[in-house]
Amino acid sequence: MSIRPLVMSVLLLLPPFSVAQTADPATRELIERLLSRIDTLEKRVAQLEGSAPRPAAIAPAPFAPAPIAHTHDQPPMPDAAQPSYPSLKLAGFSDFNFAATDLQGPSNGFGTQTMLNPHTGFQEGQFALHLSSALSPKVSVFGELSVTARSDAGTGSPPATGFNAELERLIVRYDLNDYFKLSFGRYHTPINYWNTAYHHGQWLQTTVSRPEMTQFGGSFIPVHFVGMLVEGAAPAGGLNLNYNAGLGNGRGQVISRGGDIGDINNHRAWLANVFVKPDRLYGLQVGGSVYRDKINPLGGAPVREWIESAHIVWQKETPEFIGEFANVTHQPVGGGPSVHSQAFYAQTAYRLPDPARLWKPYYRFEYMHIPQADALFRSVPSFASSTVGVRYDISSFAAFKLEYRNYSRRNLPSINGAFLQTSFTF
Amino acid sequence: MRRLRNSILRNCILAVALGGLPAAPPPADGDIAIVVRADVPVDNLTFAELRRVMLGDRQFWASNLKVTLLVRAPGAREREVVLKTIYQMSEAQFRQYWIAKVFRAEAASGPRIVYSNETATELASAIPGAIAFVEALQAPKGLKILKINGVLPGDKAYPLR
Repeated sequence: MSIRPLVMSVLLLLPPFSVAQTADPATRELIERLLSRIDTLEKRVAQLEGSAPRPAAIAPAPFAPAPIAHTHDQPPMPDAAQPSYPSLKLAGFSDFNFAATDLQGPSNGFGTQTMLNPHTGFQEGQFALHLSSALSPKVSVFGELSVTARSDAGTGSPPATGFNAELERLIVRYDLNDYFKLSFGRYHTPINYWNTAYHHGQWLQTTVSRPEMTQFGGSFIPVHFVGMLVEGAAPAGGLNLNYNAGLGNGRGQVISRGGDIGDINNHRAWLANVFVKPDRLYGLQVGGSVYRDKINPLGGAPVREWIESAHIVWQKETPEFIGEFANVTHQPVGGGPSVHSQAFYAQTAYRLPDPARLWKPYYRFEYMHIPQADALFRSVPSFASSTVGVRYDISSFAAFKLEYRNYSRRNLPSINGAFLQTSFTF
Repeated sequence: MRRLRNSILRNCILAVALGGLPAAPPPADGDIAIVVRADVPVDNLTFAELRRVMLGDRQFWASNLKVTLLVRAPGAREREVVLKTIYQMSEAQFRQYWIAKVFRAEAASGPRIVYSNETATELASAIPGAIAFVEALQAPKGLKILKINGVLPGDKAYPLR
């Protein structure tokens, strides 16, 4: 191929005295790189020309006029780019545990998920299946199913052990834009960071277990919420303000459960949650929530419930920090003094540098105070605990965690325990 | 004859370069260009806005145009630059981030993985609202190169390299 026409064209386009001008060092460097690239390419062409058989002469193609392009014309969409709906995707999480504690007798308020058992042994964790499917560019469905080992899931008397299946979350959401998304379904109540950050994915969280204030099966905050939610985010001058506002059934008669089959009274629960993620401090999240409900507990007088909560999170790993606080107020509907129960935790972790970057030691302090006058929380434990442990990521999708916990309980002996977990996603 | 041809070609390039004709900086080798289809109603993003798009926190260019992220498969230099400068994450952290994002129902799916710059630009041309990352020298003419903090690839202040 002759380059003469190209050279002539370039020369004709040159300004008359351009060669006389001087170039800066960056330009000269660019020129040198281009010349070097030309050399490399020419050598490669020479190699190919020497090795490949000469093609037979090809007759020039007849001239064909280029089609006229319209401004609204778009390139045809290749098959790989064609969206298909519904687009179901599956993911799973599970874990397997070993626990050894010095607990004698019942744990007095701690649920099975906390793994404070009087007997040492293995325990199957939850098997959680997550489904997500886009129904259109703006409509999506999310579901989370869990299968949990329980001592009373089977039939007979006394009930045999077995597994309980549960629909943890089912959400259908319409995304109008970034500012406004409307959804209906069963949620993890967005008034607590941990509850909506990790759900039932034990692998996602650094530690073996959740903080007690947000433990599954616990009662301190309503873990599930059935109803509707409006959410969105706005830049807000670099603050990245996010919000959730919800209306739902609130707690059921068994207060650890949501009102799945309907509300137990004519008073809807509502919640509002706001948090910011400032641009200038990438990794920081700070927020707060309020929750309001009227509860008709099984065998108890109705009470009004107010929950105020706040969180501050540094989402990176060097270090990682999560701190949360919640205050729950119960006010008898028929009159009487209000009671306030508080809980907080602070957790920190640090991903070690190379060559030990698979290791992540952590520490968490938890505190929960339930006044004895709070009849609704009679079964919720009052305690202070320390957890120290280490996480080892055996692959990008599986981890080992080993932790030691100490619980100081009000009017009860303290508990010490060692816990080993392998958790994974698939 | 061949030496003469090379010499002429070199002189031509040298002459054009010394002339300093182009006003915009030439794309520098190693800069990563952010390309979108021409109908995306954005020409410039701040680095923070780009991060929000890449994190899946901003999911719409406009109400009727959703963002589709196209990210190169592990091993590609474009991916390494994006993870290091925008996400500030390792490969493992990046994977965990998107698994968690979808699990939290904050996104219906993670980024689409592409295995070459050709596929990235082809899909970016075909999918409305798609955003892709390619070596600036390989950015095709049919796609719009976004400015970041007001500058294009080749500028000394360009942040993706």
